[in-house]
Amino acid sequence: MKTGWKRLAGGLAAALMTVGLAVPAQAKTQVVWWDFLSGGDGVRMKGMIQAFEKDNPDIEINATTLEWGTPFYTKVQTSAAVGQGPDIMTYHLSRMPLGVSTGTLRPFTDDELKSVGLGQSDYFASDWDAAHVDGKLYGVPLDIHSIVLYYNKDLLKKAGLLGDDGKPKGLNGLDNFNAAVKKLTTGNGTYGLSIHDGAPDGSSAWRIFYTLLAQQGGTFMTDNKVLDGDNLEKAQKSVETMANWVKQGWSPANVSYNSSIALFTSGKAAMHINGVWEVPTMVDLAKQKKLGFDWGVMQIPVIFDHAATWADSHSFAVPNRKGNEVSAEKMKAVMTIISWMNHHSIMWANAGHIPAFKAVTESADFKNMKPNSDYASLAETAVFDPKSGITGVASPAYDTATNFLEPAINGQMDAASAVEQMRDELQNDLQ
Amino acid sequence: MRNRLNLGGALITLVTIIAAILWFFPLYWSVITSLKPEYEVVEPTIRLIPRHWTLDAYVYVFENTPILRWYLNSTVTSAAITILVLIMSAGCAYALSQLRFPGRRLIYGMILVSFMVPIQALIITHFVLMNDFGLINTWLGVILPQLIVPVAVIVYKQFFDSIPREYRESALLDGANEFQIFGRLYVPMNWGVTTALAIITFIAAWNNFLWPFLVTNSNASMTVTVGITQIHENFGVQYARNLAGAVIAASPVAVAYLVFQRRVTDAIMLSAGIKG
Amino acid sequence: MFKRRQILPALVLVGPFVIAYLVLFIYPSLKMLELSFTNAPLVGEGKWVGWANYSRLFRDSLFKGSVVHTIYFVVLTVIPTTLLGLVIAILVGRLKGWLQSLVLAAFFLPYVLPVTVVFRIWEWVLDSQFGIAQPAFRLLFGHSISVWQDPVWAMPSVAFITIWWTNGFNVLLFIAGLRNISQDVYDAAELDGAGGWTRFRFITWPLIWPVTALVLTIQLILQLKIFDQIYLMTVGGPFNSTQVVVQYIYKQAFQTNHGGYGSTIAVALFVTIAALSVLQYQVLRTRSE
Repeated sequence: MKTGWKRLAGGLAAALMTVGLAVPAQAKTQVVWWDFLSGGDGVRMKGMIQAFEKDNPDIEINATTLEWGTPFYTKVQTSAAVGQGPDIMTYHLSRMPLGVSTGTLRPFTDDELKSVGLGQSDYFASDWDAAHVDGKLYGVPLDIHSIVLYYNKDLLKKAGLLGDDGKPKGLNGLDNFNAAVKKLTTGNGTYGLSIHDGAPDGSSAWRIFYTLLAQQGGTFMTDNKVLDGDNLEKAQKSVETMANWVKQGWSPANVSYNSSIALFTSGKAAMHINGVWEVPTMVDLAKQKKLGFDWGVMQIPVIFDHAATWADSHSFAVPNRKGNEVSAEKMKAVMTIISWMNHHSIMWANAGHIPAFKAVTESADFKNMKPNSDYASLAETAVFDPKSGITGVASPAYDTATNFLEPAINGQMDAASAVEQMRDELQNDLQ
Repeated sequence: MRNRLNLGGALITLVTIIAAILWFFPLYWSVITSLKPEYEVVEPTIRLIPRHWTLDAYVYVFENTPILRWYLNSTVTSAAITILVLIMSAGCAYALSQLRFPGRRLIYGMILVSFMVPIQALIITHFVLMNDFGLINTWLGVILPQLIVPVAVIVYKQFFDSIPREYRESALLDGANEFQIFGRLYVPMNWGVTTALAIITFIAAWNNFLWPFLVTNSNASMTVTVGITQIHENFGVQYARNLAGAVIAASPVAVAYLVFQRRVTDAIMLSAGIKG
Repeated sequence: MFKRRQILPALVLVGPFVIAYLVLFIYPSLKMLELSFTNAPLVGEGKWVGWANYSRLFRDSLFKGSVVHTIYFVVLTVIPTTLLGLVIAILVGRLKGWLQSLVLAAFFLPYVLPVTVVFRIWEWVLDSQFGIAQPAFRLLFGHSISVWQDPVWAMPSVAFITIWWTNGFNVLLFIAGLRNISQDVYDAAELDGAGGWTRFRFITWPLIWPVTALVLTIQLILQLKIFDQIYLMTVGGPFNSTQVVVQYIYKQAFQTNHGGYGSTIAVALFVTIAALSVLQYQVLRTRSE
């Protein structure tokens, strides 16, 4: 107890010193940084920031982590509109058109990019394109991230679904996949496949839905029309497929994001679909020997006609702070940070992501990196969200995933009316 | 006869006490949890008394969040709101109650009307207005929209109305001016009302969530009520830390209530139009 | 009749309040009305769109949903909290001395807490993994319940917590009301041999009715403005099943940057509550007469 009080007093004293105006350290450029990276992502990004500051003693990054998704983008949008907010922030490329339409983002100039030697040739064409709106570059990509299938090797082996190479077999094709999931559901609170289909939002449902739609060759938007023509049927089929997993009891209903992971890590679900950003969770648990089984990760199987996976990118962006624009001096520091982060994105690959910076992605270090190399192939058939002002993270499309896809997946609405309402609402937003 | 101890009465008393304990239990459980180490918090056994007492969670909160800065923000803004509301309301109520001047009826009518308006409906235009003034993320930005408390004027007016006119008239004969009568006679005669209104205005301002949540978007300018939910350190087990933050945020109002119990309850009845 | 020498002091005394009132209440209200006819973003200018926002309001299923959810919340809170307040007031009123103070404090303390603290407390008590309420759920329903993720449980949970949080206020009003009922009336009734229930039914209930009506109207208006608890506990989910009107204003204006349409919803709320407040005012007036 005594030391407790002493430490409390110490904490109080430390906190007291932060009250009032902190005296800025001399000659250091202070850069205000906002991100939405928590969990394994957050830990690794904090490590990168520390490493950056060590390499660049003249720049200090004041980082704040805000809640992912809508709360983050609400804050960024409102702050920028009133001339406040960070000097640099993380931003999803999928949301770029929406962010530009609300006037939240400030484009990068060619000179700024050139000043740190970055250019088109450093990035994959799909990423580079997604970072542009109306011919202007609004974000510098950091990674490509997607969803993958996590699996419990022990349970798959028991069900005869593990090949001699230690990789799952017989998961391609809808019938095979369903049969496998059914087999892996062994009663007593176990599930073949854990997916996140409950609160707080429908972002995970969207990712799987979009993947299944793309695997059927469907497109979400064509010429400003949402789910036009037979795309509606394909969308319905995607939703029905997911709803069936829940209906059959192969996947749990109304499960929150954290619980969907916990089901897998506690061995109650044999497979789990989630983002690559949860790779560190598994790696860390396995390292601490808390997992209790052998795990693996792979590209989402070809459940329909051909390989395809939803993908998005984290990028660095600068807010358009009205009346209080980021100064040239700050911009210089911001560019230094962006360039450093790209060149060192092998550290970011540790968080499961595929770096956007070609020099890193093509390096031997990355090619040999485990487990990233087990799913890196997905990049070849990755499908980004439609480039529009109604899609992307925390967009109207994500809202419809929350309002229509989730109830349909959980059996509270039929798939046909869910996709129709989704189409109608988004079409309405476009006008 | 009435006071005879009977079995039925004792049973009802017992039920009342059990209900009170259950009602209070979540508070107890939260405080106790905040004093446990995180690993003990998630143990499956329910322990009403911690096995190990620790202030780790509090140390963590003090070291890793600007909670004292939030405290300062909360204290300054709540105190300023309280003082400004009381001064403006008492003055206005005195004039409405004792003085005859053009516009009197109109002003009183407007106050009664604004009683009916949900301040929540004005969040958009308040935000726009505070932005026009350049007050986003400032103390003044938190304070200004919370100054509209018509009920304080109404309560003061009721009390000023009930003071016999002889006091005022004899003071006037002694040569006192209106400000002196107001400041030296009417306000001191109603200290009870002022304390009561001060307590509830302060508690309301300290507890307000929606407006400070909208008008502050930098960590340094948040009030403690908003701040404790905006810390995002989403890894590791953090139940005890969250609750420690909550205990710290709640203590001023909880202590104020426990100390001024009687006055707080009187004040609440007063503001609801029931003179206790 | 105005008194000339009173005018100057009067203006000085009402001045600050009136100025604050004009700048912070009248102007924002008029501005809100103006914005509701435009397509303005949250910050910045918009174009005049006439009644478009209003006709959209009547077609907007999310708005209708938010109205329905708000009413559902009102139904779940207003009458239960009023009745519970009365019951607790009667129980507490029976007690004497320090025991009464202690029991009253236990029921009242939650009311003085900030909503974010209330949220933290119940987030922990109801936590789906480690919450102390889960063993009770397992006993009653055979399984744990993640109340915030379950569309059936989410709104009743928010309502329950709201009652726990704010009920102390109603208890106080009822205690004050009960004290005003003369003991003589009860004594007379007891002489006539009236039992407990009869006394309540024919004496307490009719005499306390004005306070009951007051509590009902206060609660009605208060709960229609629900935002904080919903935003903190369910964020309107799961699948918007708990999205309420004030939250929809917030969502339109602050999240999707539609200041104009957000203002239109705000006007609708404004008008509804003003109308209900007139009702409340009538109740208050009949009481004081």
